[in-house]
Amino acid sequence: MNQINPLQIGALLVVIIAFLFFKLSGVKAELVEANASYKMSEKLAVEVSSLKSVYSNKKKTKDAINRILSQSSLKAAALNVKRDKKSVKISSKSIETKALNSLMGKILNGSYNITNLKIKTLSKTKASLEMEIKW
Amino acid sequence: MFMTFKRSSTTLFLDPNSETIVEFEKGEKLNIILSPSLYWVKKQALPVKSVREVKKLLVSIFEDSLPEGHYSYTAYKHGDQFLLFAYEDKKIISLLNAKGINLVDIGSIYFAQNEFSSLEGAVTLNATQSMYLKDELLVLAPSAWISESKELDLENIELSKQTIKLQQFGHIVDNSSLYKIGAILVILAIILLVEIFVASSKRDGVVELQDAVFSKYKLQSTMFQNESTKSKYNTIHKAQTKLREHIAAFLTMKLKVTQKITLIEYKNRVLYVTVSDISKGHERSVTSQLDSKGIKYKVSYNDDSMKVEMKI
Repeated sequence: MNQINPLQIGALLVVIIAFLFFKLSGVKAELVEANASYKMSEKLAVEVSSLKSVYSNKKKTKDAINRILSQSSLKAAALNVKRDKKSVKISSKSIETKALNSLMGKILNGSYNITNLKIKTLSKTKASLEMEIKW
Repeated sequence: MFMTFKRSSTTLFLDPNSETIVEFEKGEKLNIILSPSLYWVKKQALPVKSVREVKKLLVSIFEDSLPEGHYSYTAYKHGDQFLLFAYEDKKIISLLNAKGINLVDIGSIYFAQNEFSSLEGAVTLNATQSMYLKDELLVLAPSAWISESKELDLENIELSKQTIKLQQFGHIVDNSSLYKIGAILVILAIILLVEIFVASSKRDGVVELQDAVFSKYKLQSTMFQNESTKSKYNTIHKAQTKLREHIAAFLTMKLKVTQKITLIEYKNRVLYVTVSDISKGHERSVTSQLDSKGIKYKVSYNDDSMKVEMKI
């Protein structure tokens, strides 16, 4: 027969509603934060992915350099090419300037990570070359 | 005031004018029969069929016949007619409290009208009053008017199922307002719960999307690591762009016929370019072209050649 005071029930409901408002604002803040984090991750992912595909894709870089070196004008130049796990080293003690222009034109117009480069003029038509490209 | 009769469950007769001392065991469930002094009753035929319909009319039926107060109402079917009751919860509760009866200990509350509907003769309630049936309604009368009045006997009484529940807080706010306010608050709470659920689902969905981005692009586990990777590749990208810009600046440079670029060297993020046939004091034709492209440099001389050094 004992009954609960309706004012107490009302107060309890008000407390529950206040708690729910608090909880809702917390969840909404988390949603905003998650959205911002997602957008930031997506942007970062695209950037990192595109940069990696340019500067850290060993197979792509290796294939592209092989294609360049397989050109007839460069084959004749008898370039010294050394490949290891992290880089490719291209050198020639004496290379025709025409072949050098062709090679450097393609390398400099492509996205390769050149870490070392030395081109020294030997004569009007000859030069020496040392170059290292990392992947 | 109270008359006590020993039964398996104790039944008490509550009368405001009785001086009898209440005796009952604490914690025991009590059945309370309300004296006619504690309620108003009408026997009436009404053009409705159900008690539910009657209850909607009770306020207007009693409107002009009750003293000022906050009443609760109830009704029961009685043959072709209805028995209509009005009572003040607060008044009954105050009386119970005055008698030391805790509401928690009360099992059910009955009207004397329903429990003594077959009463024969008169029954003494207190020092001055007795009750008896008149036209099927239990009425109070001064004991002095009644020649033969017997003692109230609750020993063999068969209690009906017609009970009431007292509204302890009915005087604070009426039930309909209470239900309306309660309903609004409950609806608001439900809306908030739904909103929380929806927002949580959206948040979880976004977190799943983010995880999918991480696995799709094969990112490292923390943003810090990924930022570091991005920074590393950005540095490489900037250096390679700058290297190509600087080399292009020399390859497109207007030089005198006798002047030649004899060396281009890049190591440890420093670019060296040697131009022949330039002596100190005659470098302006070269440096002005570098200045115009915003290239920062240092120059040094060796015989008749100039060495330009640029940090990449």
